[in-house]
Amino acid sequence: MAGVYSVTQINVYIKNMFKQDFVLNKVSIKGEISNCKYHTSGHVYFTLKDEFGTISAVMFAGQAKNLTFQLREGQKVIVNGRIDVYERDGKYQLYANEITLDGAGDLYKQFEELKIKLEEMGMFASEYKRPIPAFSRRIGIITASTGAAIQDIINISKRRNPYVQLILFPAFVQGDNAKESIVKGIETLDRMDLDVIIVGRGGGSIEDLWAFNEEVVAHAIFNCDTPVISAVGHETDFTIADFVSDLRAPTPSAAAELAVADIHLIEERIYSYSYSLNQMFDRIIYNKRNLLEKYNLKLNYLNPINQINDKRQRTMDLEDKLNYAIKNKLKYKKHELAILCERLNGLSPLSKLSQGYAYAENSKGNSVNTINNVALHEHLRIHVADGVIEAKVVEKTGISR
Amino acid sequence: MAKAITLEDSFGSLEKIIDNLENGQLSLDESFKMYNEGIKLIKNCNVQLDKVEKQIIILDKNGENDGI
Repeated sequence: MAGVYSVTQINVYIKNMFKQDFVLNKVSIKGEISNCKYHTSGHVYFTLKDEFGTISAVMFAGQAKNLTFQLREGQKVIVNGRIDVYERDGKYQLYANEITLDGAGDLYKQFEELKIKLEEMGMFASEYKRPIPAFSRRIGIITASTGAAIQDIINISKRRNPYVQLILFPAFVQGDNAKESIVKGIETLDRMDLDVIIVGRGGGSIEDLWAFNEEVVAHAIFNCDTPVISAVGHETDFTIADFVSDLRAPTPSAAAELAVADIHLIEERIYSYSYSLNQMFDRIIYNKRNLLEKYNLKLNYLNPINQINDKRQRTMDLEDKLNYAIKNKLKYKKHELAILCERLNGLSPLSKLSQGYAYAENSKGNSVNTINNVALHEHLRIHVADGVIEAKVVEKTGISR
Repeated sequence: MAKAITLEDSFGSLEKIIDNLENGQLSLDESFKMYNEGIKLIKNCNVQLDKVEKQIIILDKNGENDGI
């Protein structure tokens, strides 16, 4: 006969087998909850089942207190934990550490349904989206009062513009109280005449972010008169709030950048306008001055005084020319006169006389220069240089010279 | 808020004025007018940028705060 074991021994053996199995020590199991019982001690007992089988499960108070939702009959969940043997009952059980709602089954479906419903109502339509002011002075924030989200928003806001007024409505951002808290925050801040409101939270699971998928929150955002920037979770998280808000920011930090204009850039812009304005105007003045100078020069050039000077100059020139011309003419005429004088002199009978020539004149007074003009015995007067000789023609003889 | 819009509007007006001064065949009179308007706008912008640092206001559960 083979060894005979006690019940206890067998149970211990089985327990050890489970303990050494690496799969069963840390396992994730998907199933539906049934027979859920919350014990007064805080422990939760339930059965996890699927089509063909069930497994008993327990979540002790220490882990159960971290549950963000109530376990309910029919919920599709994923349970992380270990499978161990409860020797007393000779049963194995699933000891749950963590339970999450199976997104594919439940929450995701709810999300899609609500999204379609609100979209058909037109709540996501771009016509309703209010523009985010380019320059906000008072900014409302709805998020948890502790945690990275609010710190990031504060840090980035102050860095971009230390002079904005931030107003925080501390809200619950997960759990059953969250949706009312968020709605209250939106309504409260909307009454405070702010420039923009940021609503959001840090990253988390779909259950953690679920408050931002609630219909009341969507309506509160839609009806809010102040522009709303949603900043829920990480870059890849999309909630209903993101679709209905006036602007979605991928993270709380990004929301601060979208809400708060960088005041240094604005100051620079103002300065550059000032600079350009002065530049442009200086240029205009410079150009006008140049133009004035040009006209001044032209005007001066065309000044009648210039013409007078011109004319004066011309007059003097002409005067000079005239003087010169007349002097020349005079000289020339004098010269001419001198020549004529010479000629006259040359023709002067007196000079002829002084040269030894005589001038013969008949009784009628005519000059005798041919033998044909004299008759024999005619009386002639002969003029010589120093007097007159009375003569008579004695003889005349013709000579061909 | 009205003030925020004015800042953007101011920028828009300043762009137009500078454009006009740059391209326009404006008379000296018109240029003066535009320049003065520009200076006024710039003064206005600077006035709107308040330089007072502010502490964050945290509302209590009822959405009330002494300071507001």
